[in-house]
Amino acid sequence: MSLLKLVQNNTKSAFFRCNEPKIFLISSRKLSIVPSIYDGEDPAPKFFSSGIQILLKRLTRPDFAKVFRKRNNSNISVLRTPKYKFVTDEELRMEKLKADKSADRLLQMPPVVKVHKPIDDVLSIDPALIGYDSAKYLFTDISFGVDNEHRTIIERDPDGTLRSCDHAERKRLNQGRKIREPLIFQDEEKFHSLLDRLQYEYVLDRACVQYEPDEPTYHKLTSITYQHIDLKSMYDLLRSTRHFGPLAFYLTWHKSVDNLMLELLQSADVREAVLLLALRQALHGDLSSGEESSALVSQILPTPVQLTKKEQLSEEDIQLDTKCIECVDKYINTNSAMKSQQGLALQGFREHYQQLVELSRGLKKAHGAA
Amino acid sequence: MPLPPASGTGRYFVKAAKSIRLIRQGCTNRPFYHISVTHRRRLNSQAVIEQLGSYDPMPNTNNEKLVALNLERIKFWLGQGAHVTNPVGELLGLAGFFPIHPRSYMTAWRNRRTERENQAKAEKSTESTTTEV
Repeated sequence: MSLLKLVQNNTKSAFFRCNEPKIFLISSRKLSIVPSIYDGEDPAPKFFSSGIQILLKRLTRPDFAKVFRKRNNSNISVLRTPKYKFVTDEELRMEKLKADKSADRLLQMPPVVKVHKPIDDVLSIDPALIGYDSAKYLFTDISFGVDNEHRTIIERDPDGTLRSCDHAERKRLNQGRKIREPLIFQDEEKFHSLLDRLQYEYVLDRACVQYEPDEPTYHKLTSITYQHIDLKSMYDLLRSTRHFGPLAFYLTWHKSVDNLMLELLQSADVREAVLLLALRQALHGDLSSGEESSALVSQILPTPVQLTKKEQLSEEDIQLDTKCIECVDKYINTNSAMKSQQGLALQGFREHYQQLVELSRGLKKAHGAA
Repeated sequence: MPLPPASGTGRYFVKAAKSIRLIRQGCTNRPFYHISVTHRRRLNSQAVIEQLGSYDPMPNTNNEKLVALNLERIKFWLGQGAHVTNPVGELLGLAGFFPIHPRSYMTAWRNRRTERENQAKAEKSTESTTTEV
């Protein structure tokens, strides 16, 4: 029936994605998730294109209450008391712009780039130097003005070969992260217990700190986390954080948007559902309702972010929403994998929306503003 | 009197003879060398012109010896006519910046020879013990 039930019934290995050739198995206690990395095509140019960035930012639905919340792990000793100001309308607008800017900075998404290739170029072979020393010599070029990625780091092995250093040694020598890997990333049990406790944000933040975005371990960890979230449908935990964008990108890239779509429909967010369709169209271009969704996006984006359920609707809202509903309906009938559930959710939303429309129209008439 | 800065004062006499050599810093039984350019006749405790890198002769936990070289400034001072001492020449040869120093080949050859002799001695002693028994 649904993939969710299948995996949760204690199967040994769930073959989740068929797109990538290189896959490695990790078996956990109950759920087995196969991490899949962005093998093959490079996701970076698509991820960084402005259209997709706008869509992803809109899908994260930034809620300022969550974005600017007090955090426990920052190292300020004294909390600052909130400042209250009396401002004019113009100054209020300026403050809002500043808040938007700092929200943008806090919600900057960790980049999605393809896995780096291992560095393996031998500069010189000198078997006459065998026995010179039992230790390796690592030479770093500390010229000024070169950043850590481009620094020349080479090693002379005890068997006389002079070669460039691999990424692990480069990272160690550039004195980046903690030298010892955190235990949660080494031990599968601990990692999965953290995921089961729904500490997704903590795990993803820690992974961002520890690894570069082009390392295979980082890709593996993030892909397991995203699939776990997808299985549990706990997207709300990551909304308004900087990880929702890469999550949405990952799911759309691997064509498993159906859970997310279902959740959006159940929470009555048709506009974001259309944005998701447009994202899918931009990445893969295989939707029949593709052009419509892209056209609707330009109308949706100027509308403000919808945090709570709406009570009052204006005529433009109603028109826009009906168009969105049609678009989503088309998608469900043609490309969706969870037709029945999404159809049901859409039906429920339609009825609820109809009631809302009648209510608002009735109210307007009653207030004499028809 | 305060110690001269280990990273170099930057003051030098243009026509004087200079050399790039290892200046021993570190503590008792724990050497650590700065690769610096200084006037040739100066003592190691006097001020250097500029520090161009470092060399740690004690291998770390991964059995590696770390050497840092500011190649841009080394090239500058070589252009200004600084000489290079033998240990620094060996290090630069190992790094691939210079051709490999003949002393490196000599040490490697001598180490291999001692290794072979030790092995031969060890084999002989095991043979003699087995023949005795």
